[in-house]
Amino acid sequence: MKKTNSVFNRAFTFLVFLFLYAPIFLLIIFSFNQNNSNVAWGGFSFHWYRELFQNRIIMRSLYTTLLVSLLSTVIATIAGTFAAIGFYGLRRRARNALTTVNNIPMMNADIVTGVAMCLFFVGFFHLWSDLAGWINSIQSLVILPTRLTLGFPTLLIAHITFNIPYVLLSVSPKLRQLDKNLIDAAQDLGCTWFQAFYKVILPEIKPGIISGALTAFTMSIDDFIISYFTAGSSSSTLAMTIYGMTKKRVSPEINAISTILFVSVLLLLAVINIREAHMEKVSLRRQAMPATQSASQRKFSPTLRKLAKAAAAFACVGVLIVAGVGAVHNTQQPVVNVCSWGEYIDEELITQFEEETGILVNYQTSESNEALYSLLKSGAGDYDVIVPSDYMISQLIEEGMLEKLDYSKIPNFSLMDDRFKNLPYDPANEYTVPYTWGTVGIIYNTTMVEAPPDSWNVMFDDRYAGNVLMFRNSRDAMAIALLYLGYDLNTTDPTQLRQAADLIADAKSRGVYQAFVMDEIFLKMESGNAAIGPYYAGDYLTMAENNPDLAFVVPKEGSNWFVDAMCVLKDAPHYEEAMAWINFIASTEANLANMDSIWYASPNREALEQYPAYYEGLYDEPLDQETYDIIAAPNEVLDRCQSYVSLPAETRRLYNELWIRLGT
Amino acid sequence: MNRTKAFTIPYAVWMALFVVAPIIMVLIYAFSSADGGFTLANFSSMGDYTVVFVRSFRLAIIATAICLLIGYPVAYMLSREGKQFQRLATVLIMLPMWMNFLLRTYSWMSILENNGLINQFLGLFGIGPFQMIDTQGAVVLGMVYNYLPFMILPIYSVIIKLDHSLVEAAHDLGANDFVAFRRVILPLSLPGVLSGITMVFVPSVSTFAISTMLGGGTEFLLGDLIEQQFLGGAYNPQLGAAIAMVMMVIVVLCMWVMNRFGEGEEQAVVL
Repeated sequence: MKKTNSVFNRAFTFLVFLFLYAPIFLLIIFSFNQNNSNVAWGGFSFHWYRELFQNRIIMRSLYTTLLVSLLSTVIATIAGTFAAIGFYGLRRRARNALTTVNNIPMMNADIVTGVAMCLFFVGFFHLWSDLAGWINSIQSLVILPTRLTLGFPTLLIAHITFNIPYVLLSVSPKLRQLDKNLIDAAQDLGCTWFQAFYKVILPEIKPGIISGALTAFTMSIDDFIISYFTAGSSSSTLAMTIYGMTKKRVSPEINAISTILFVSVLLLLAVINIREAHMEKVSLRRQAMPATQSASQRKFSPTLRKLAKAAAAFACVGVLIVAGVGAVHNTQQPVVNVCSWGEYIDEELITQFEEETGILVNYQTSESNEALYSLLKSGAGDYDVIVPSDYMISQLIEEGMLEKLDYSKIPNFSLMDDRFKNLPYDPANEYTVPYTWGTVGIIYNTTMVEAPPDSWNVMFDDRYAGNVLMFRNSRDAMAIALLYLGYDLNTTDPTQLRQAADLIADAKSRGVYQAFVMDEIFLKMESGNAAIGPYYAGDYLTMAENNPDLAFVVPKEGSNWFVDAMCVLKDAPHYEEAMAWINFIASTEANLANMDSIWYASPNREALEQYPAYYEGLYDEPLDQETYDIIAAPNEVLDRCQSYVSLPAETRRLYNELWIRLGT
Repeated sequence: MNRTKAFTIPYAVWMALFVVAPIIMVLIYAFSSADGGFTLANFSSMGDYTVVFVRSFRLAIIATAICLLIGYPVAYMLSREGKQFQRLATVLIMLPMWMNFLLRTYSWMSILENNGLINQFLGLFGIGPFQMIDTQGAVVLGMVYNYLPFMILPIYSVIIKLDHSLVEAAHDLGANDFVAFRRVILPLSLPGVLSGITMVFVPSVSTFAISTMLGGGTEFLLGDLIEQQFLGGAYNPQLGAAIAMVMMVIVVLCMWVMNRFGEGEEQAVVL
């Protein structure tokens, strides 16, 4: 403290701070950008702030984040303080043992804590479902819900659990500094224990409590991993929403919300800091003038008490407001939880459905069929309606995870083309209403390839090394390799499958692939960051709208053609609403709007026929045949395509094993 | 004071339910097969993932070393500044943590892109473009960026509490600045260093968000491996639990080694 730092040292510190803050300032600067780029400046505007308040998904997750952080901080602070007092009264051995357990969540890697809690909750849900089923079967007074899923309560439990240790850790040292005789003295003087606690202990340990609460709140706000494993899909926190977005397009509203968060934190810290500075000045003055100690103390403690009360009141009001807003949000409005893929619906349809029926649509997305399956199995996916692909549907039916549909409530099912009814995945058509269909092909950037590719070989040779994207889901990635090797894409032969996996692994080790992607491909292809990537036909047309250099081909070795269909999960809590949603989406108008927005072919006969006319009516120009053929592949293309079928469990295990090994 | 013992009970029950029971669930899953029987297969197949273990540890060790190399000097210099400046600086170090770390990582994505800000800037001078995103370097950068405060703060909070008269005594006994630092300050700040190292290493070795966002998802880290088995594309919670268990053992070992070095009981508090 005596020697000051040299200019060089200060410059180093400054650089470190620059490193910490440059990315944050960039977020802030680009939150005022007119266009949606994070790299090119298009002029100043508040556009994204307006958008932010319209964006229901982001606002909802912000609300969840604040609510869970505030609630868990308040609960953990109270519980942690009492636990600390309890620990303090224990004998050393018992205390050490409990402290060790207390330290576990703090010391363990977040992912281990998250996974452990996820397994625990899911195990509990299974037990509960058996118990509730049994109780429901022996009496009919109370009907207990049998299907529980991860959600806000589990998220809150998890946050409280990892917050208490921090409170305990900062309160305990203060207690240890406390003179035990003080409490005895207070009680000798006629205080009850509670009075002694309130008048003696509490003021002494208050700094510890405050710093514990602050730490807990910070940890809650900053957490992503534990929330990710315990929140379930419908109560996602801001971090989870962002993580989901980085897997497709990040909407620039995120910049705006970062800015708002940053500024409010800055203000809050400024207030706290001024308060601390004030306290320090007072205490310094007190030290300097021992004679006036009692006077300054008298002056000081009312201020402190007022401030503490103000802070407490602030926290309570915050919780109340947040909870109140939540209560208004959740007023008995009927809801349907839908899970689909990214960029896979005309979002106006959601608004339209909500206005027509008064049912709130909680629309979420998942990355791939395999990821959806994991979400369902681990209890994280609390959906009513899902839109999986053909082969996954048959697997879900096999495992008894789907509910039969009530077709009397879905009159629009009759509009579906016969080609898409009674398909092998649902032979008697009891579980599904088709949503879209299409093909998989190669998307390439004409300015970056020497010649238009017509074979899957571009996925494996060195010509475009570093500029090729690959599927990040096992079924689609393996299919490409199998087709290139000339095998059946539904093969169960382990040798063939291993050979296919080796082919991909070999190409990967030679640096052919820039990245393994799902919806990230949109940005990478549109911005010219990659030359070649296999993806779905409809999505190609979306990309081509933003980058006219892109082209699409269904390779000569053949490809996959798929049907995605709407199904309802077993014991879905909003069955009636789900029927209404499915019927709405199956209508010709909705199918036309969807086709126009996402460019996937509709299974609705009328919509498919009327689309060219609909397009012309909207845009005053005819739809060219080439585009139409990419949306709805003609028979000569479909002839070389094949649909996936559900694989036996053993083959699925091999797929998972090979897939994980590919990532290594 | 005896009656306060009762306060321990609710929290003890809570911990039994939500700390101990979940860990027991991990153990049960780790030793069972898909149909519920006992098996050691989850561990015997672990050898296939040696590459991932090695990669995760390598990246986490590099990130921790960089954090230490940057964090220690910063903490040391801060401790020699004025009180006001120190307070401001510690707040500034903590502040980014109040924005979720995914927001900060996301910002790096647009900086490192092939036509991102750095490459655009270099392009003005006709250099590049360099491939920066989707590389292991980007992952290490993300770790250093996110966890650097966890290194600076514990070291700082230990150094600031050092008895300055010890340094003066060293000087009186003829030590120059460097010797005083090496023989007095450094050994005494070791507990902070150790706690900083664990606080950076553990989240680094287990991350999956940073590696998917900045690493392109082609090369798994341990965290990705676990995530894939639970909520990702290869559902296999038994294997996932086994890997999580191995990770837990590693963390416990790290703690144990650290505690042998340091004084143990008192972990430096973040705030």
